[in-house]
Amino acid sequence: MSQINRIDGGQIDRSKLLSFTFNGREMHGHPGDTLASALLANGQILVGRSFKYHRPRGILTAGSEEPNALVQLRSGARQEPNTRATVTELFDGLTATSQNHRGPLEFDLMAVTDFASPFLSAGFYYKTFMWPRAFWEKLYEPAIRSSAGLGRLSMQDDPDHYDKGFLHCDLLVIGAGPSGLAAALTAARSGARVILADEDFTPGGRLNSETLSVDNMAGADWARMAVAELASLPNVRLMTRTTVYGAYDHGTYGALERCTDHLADSGGKPRQVLWRIYSKRAVLAAGATERPIAFGNNDRPGVMMASAVRTYVNRFGVAPGKQVAVFTNNDDGWRTAADLAARGVSVVAIIDSRDKPAVCDVPGARHIRGAAVKDTVGRKALKSVTLTDGQVIPTDCLAVSGGWNPNVHLTCHQRGRPNWRDDLQAFVPGDSLPVGMQVAGAANGAMTLGAALAEGHAQAARQLDALGLTAKGSAPQAEDEPRDCAGFWHVKESAKRAWVDLQNDVTVKDIKQANREGFRSVELLKRYTTMGMATDQGKTSNIAGLAILAEDAGKPIPEVGTTIFRPPYTPIPIGALAGRARGKDFRPYRLTPSHKWASENGATFVEVGNWLRAQWYARPGEQGWRDSVDREALQTRQSVGICDVTTLGKIDIQGRDAAEFLNRVYSNAFLKLPVGKVRYGLMLREDGIAYDDGTTARMSENHYVMTTTTANAVLVFRRLEFARQCLWPGLDVHLISTTDGWAQFAVAGPNARNLLRKVVDEAHDLSNEGFPFMACGEVTVCGGMPARLFRISFSGELAYEVAVPARYGNSMMDVLMEAGREFDAVPYGTEALGVMRIEKGHAAGNELNGQTTALNLGLGGMVSQKKDCIGQTLSKRPEMNRDDAIRLVGFRPVDRSKKLIAGSHFITKGDEAIMDNDQGWMSSVAYSPSLGHSIGLGFIKRGHERMGEIVRAMSPVHDTEMEVEIVSAHFIDPEGDRLRG
Amino acid sequence: MADYSLISTPPLAGTDLRFGTCRITAPADLALVSLALPLGGEDAAQKAIAKAFGTALPDIGQSAAASDGSTTLLRLGIDQGFVMFTHATPDAERVVAAKLGGAAYTTDQTDVWCALDVTGPDCRRALERICPIDLHPDAFTIGSLARTTMEHLGVIVIRTDTDSFRLLSASSSAQSFLHAVETSFANVM
Repeated sequence: MSQINRIDGGQIDRSKLLSFTFNGREMHGHPGDTLASALLANGQILVGRSFKYHRPRGILTAGSEEPNALVQLRSGARQEPNTRATVTELFDGLTATSQNHRGPLEFDLMAVTDFASPFLSAGFYYKTFMWPRAFWEKLYEPAIRSSAGLGRLSMQDDPDHYDKGFLHCDLLVIGAGPSGLAAALTAARSGARVILADEDFTPGGRLNSETLSVDNMAGADWARMAVAELASLPNVRLMTRTTVYGAYDHGTYGALERCTDHLADSGGKPRQVLWRIYSKRAVLAAGATERPIAFGNNDRPGVMMASAVRTYVNRFGVAPGKQVAVFTNNDDGWRTAADLAARGVSVVAIIDSRDKPAVCDVPGARHIRGAAVKDTVGRKALKSVTLTDGQVIPTDCLAVSGGWNPNVHLTCHQRGRPNWRDDLQAFVPGDSLPVGMQVAGAANGAMTLGAALAEGHAQAARQLDALGLTAKGSAPQAEDEPRDCAGFWHVKESAKRAWVDLQNDVTVKDIKQANREGFRSVELLKRYTTMGMATDQGKTSNIAGLAILAEDAGKPIPEVGTTIFRPPYTPIPIGALAGRARGKDFRPYRLTPSHKWASENGATFVEVGNWLRAQWYARPGEQGWRDSVDREALQTRQSVGICDVTTLGKIDIQGRDAAEFLNRVYSNAFLKLPVGKVRYGLMLREDGIAYDDGTTARMSENHYVMTTTTANAVLVFRRLEFARQCLWPGLDVHLISTTDGWAQFAVAGPNARNLLRKVVDEAHDLSNEGFPFMACGEVTVCGGMPARLFRISFSGELAYEVAVPARYGNSMMDVLMEAGREFDAVPYGTEALGVMRIEKGHAAGNELNGQTTALNLGLGGMVSQKKDCIGQTLSKRPEMNRDDAIRLVGFRPVDRSKKLIAGSHFITKGDEAIMDNDQGWMSSVAYSPSLGHSIGLGFIKRGHERMGEIVRAMSPVHDTEMEVEIVSAHFIDPEGDRLRG
Repeated sequence: MADYSLISTPPLAGTDLRFGTCRITAPADLALVSLALPLGGEDAAQKAIAKAFGTALPDIGQSAAASDGSTTLLRLGIDQGFVMFTHATPDAERVVAAKLGGAAYTTDQTDVWCALDVTGPDCRRALERICPIDLHPDAFTIGSLARTTMEHLGVIVIRTDTDSFRLLSASSSAQSFLHAVETSFANVM
């Protein structure tokens, strides 16, 4: 197909021809075209089907407000639905297909829906699909979704890359139209750091679409000069193809830069970048959007916005019609007629709703005063329009202008409400703007070119003043064109459906019906009719919709108000919001120092917070994880096992008042902990609930090393910093994390000492007398390597933890295994660790779950009453000290072959299994290879007094019930002989 | 006793990546020791530091080179600073403590962190993708430092020259950190 509608002029590069396809048909355009302008140039008037009624639709606008011309762009995994043809930059090889039809675009089978329209009015779904309720999810919703809706997802992973970034500036100018360029020039010349962002690929805004002059030169030429100057300045960042989509707190803005969307291939670079812009000040120069007038069958392909028609002619060298009619309620519509006539496009009539003389002379056009279009003819392309007085005017393109709405959206993102201006018949930015923002140009109601330029300069000067800079230069000069506008929203004489929201197929009748049915608030109207809820967010429809509501309700428009504008201003792909955070890069991961060794030795890893920890080490011949875990636990208890426990939080605490500090943050006493000793400590929350536990070692007089649980390492550190800085700033205490600094290994089992004796340098006494249970100290290993040794045990065995600088950690694991070979030393993972701590009755995360107290945990004696500590006062609350409080105890199945289930609840034998009789719950279970059966830890009322009692453990979730016996939580070595041995 | 010896394998050792005229390297044998100024003993600590390194502990958010250029002092908070120097053996803390004679509390931070040096005319453009701090030379002069987060990771960023930055982050997440920095360069170069 040739470019039958291409005319002379425009800002396209005719020296290059670009090929593209639409629904498989090859077409051509030029660099500088949008997909929409190229489609029009190729005579493609029908571009899609409507959302609900599958009505044929054409291109309405030339900007990001487009409701109709949504296409699926590209193919395969890169297929992107709902792309606006009006802002899609044409490139060679572009492929686009139309959306929302079954069968070809021209013969959509679903168009039958349109004949059912009398039954499909506003609220239809809510009224019709209420019954039977069960049908909604399985039948109604899928049926509706397949017939309505817009484009389709590819259902494949998006192969493109996305990125994010951070920018900083003194002044952010949003929009590079006349006022934005004027503001940016003033600020840039004054030395401020300026970011100028515009959604278009060619900055200039309406200057590229108009024939107006600035500083005695063509507006588009002036814009090019201004952009060239800005681009040459080092203090300016010019961002084209960038939409500032949201205004957030403290001058922070969100922006989406489309980096490679205009290229056939992204070349492996991010397709889009989501920017966070920190601005000291901002000038919003977002321009204005022309609004349609609602009349019968106003959605025919060929009915377009008047300003868009002028854009296609002036900027793109495309005549959207051969015999154009203009329907306007304002002076600006006349400019379309004048520009078209000047370019040799035939204008057959100017229909002005106002009864006033011609605004300008348009050769060859009839001026029809005080009239309106009430209907149109032509199913897939406009053929004629019928006026209110009955006359029929043949035309293939009707240019409609209902006035202009300032783009106030970003002024409302922090709940600002716009004000109504009668002279413009439009809302303008209100009094409460986001911090640091000023608005300039058409966005602020300065609707003429001269005024917009002057205001751009003035607002920039104002912002510079606030930044302590002096504005340089003067405002560019231009004439003020006529801009009178009448409040004329829809043609009452229209008997046919008059469309307000073209993207969601909402008609004037729907709005009136909503009002009649009681949905009188504009917010309710929106949700009931879905007006303004589509991807265009009602940019062309909202004001007309609420004007019609106001009229129907007999209220003035400002009283009806607007719905709330929220980010984003235009759609943001989910991929851009995700950025790089996908797959394994969703979040950072942390590796233990012996990770390499573990990977080479058959470890299966488990995520613990951000850490990857060895869960178990499978050996050849093992049938499943249980085989490995049983072996690791047994062998550790029989000889010796080694586990990387680096992930436990380590906090270095120093200061003259460190002991006093610890005494206040731990519930148990720490003042008298001797140098060279470790103590187990329990922390409470302010409300008295158990918070975290761990050990703290006194390395020297004023130096302690605290360990925390892996999960709470960061939380505890933060809490201690808060306590140090805010609660007790008078204490000399200093904290720093050393979690990553030391590779720490638990060496546990009867042969632990024998193994370590081979690694720790001989000068250090490891005998039970020289280094008893709960001893700690600085030692050297492997011939002088500084290390720390702690004699602590989580497994209940004779055990040590030995720490070396982390960079030696992988090597240390090798050494420990090599030294342990004669003892058949085994590496063990978190599962065996868990088995052994349950066997020993140690509480862990399942028990310290934010609901349990020291008393519940059987650690009531650890809340010292001889001193104060965080949480002590509230731990005395009577409810937390009831006689029948739950207690941590052990459980074993009466039938030893049964497997306990964590989460089971306990019911006293003979009681009915109802919530009122709930006695507690099972918190941790494991198979104990040492005992040969399943064991559990759990909380049960008065547990410590009920040893030997048999209760029922019930799990309604698993639908299980079994008898269990209450036993001591210390299944192994209850006297602790092993760990002291 | 068997003769065992330990081998040092820092997480980013040997990193040397080039993107056009930009380069990402991991400094070898970088030692870090934290200083904490005792409450009430700040002046004495400051004096001891100035004497030990020939330069005063700089203001918060600044770094200072020692008089002989071998060591850099970083000031991270009211009572906290880092001593950064090249030192291969695992006794950095003792070396610093010995110089200060107990006037400040010291903690070895060498293995807590990993470091990347990024250099080249485009490195600020690459760091824009992950660094929320304003690195414009007027806002972040040579010697400036800041604690921030990049891709969820805590990072200390130091401007070492017009087009050079040193980045410090937790050693356990070194691979994620390297990936974040590397991806930023790959995305803009």
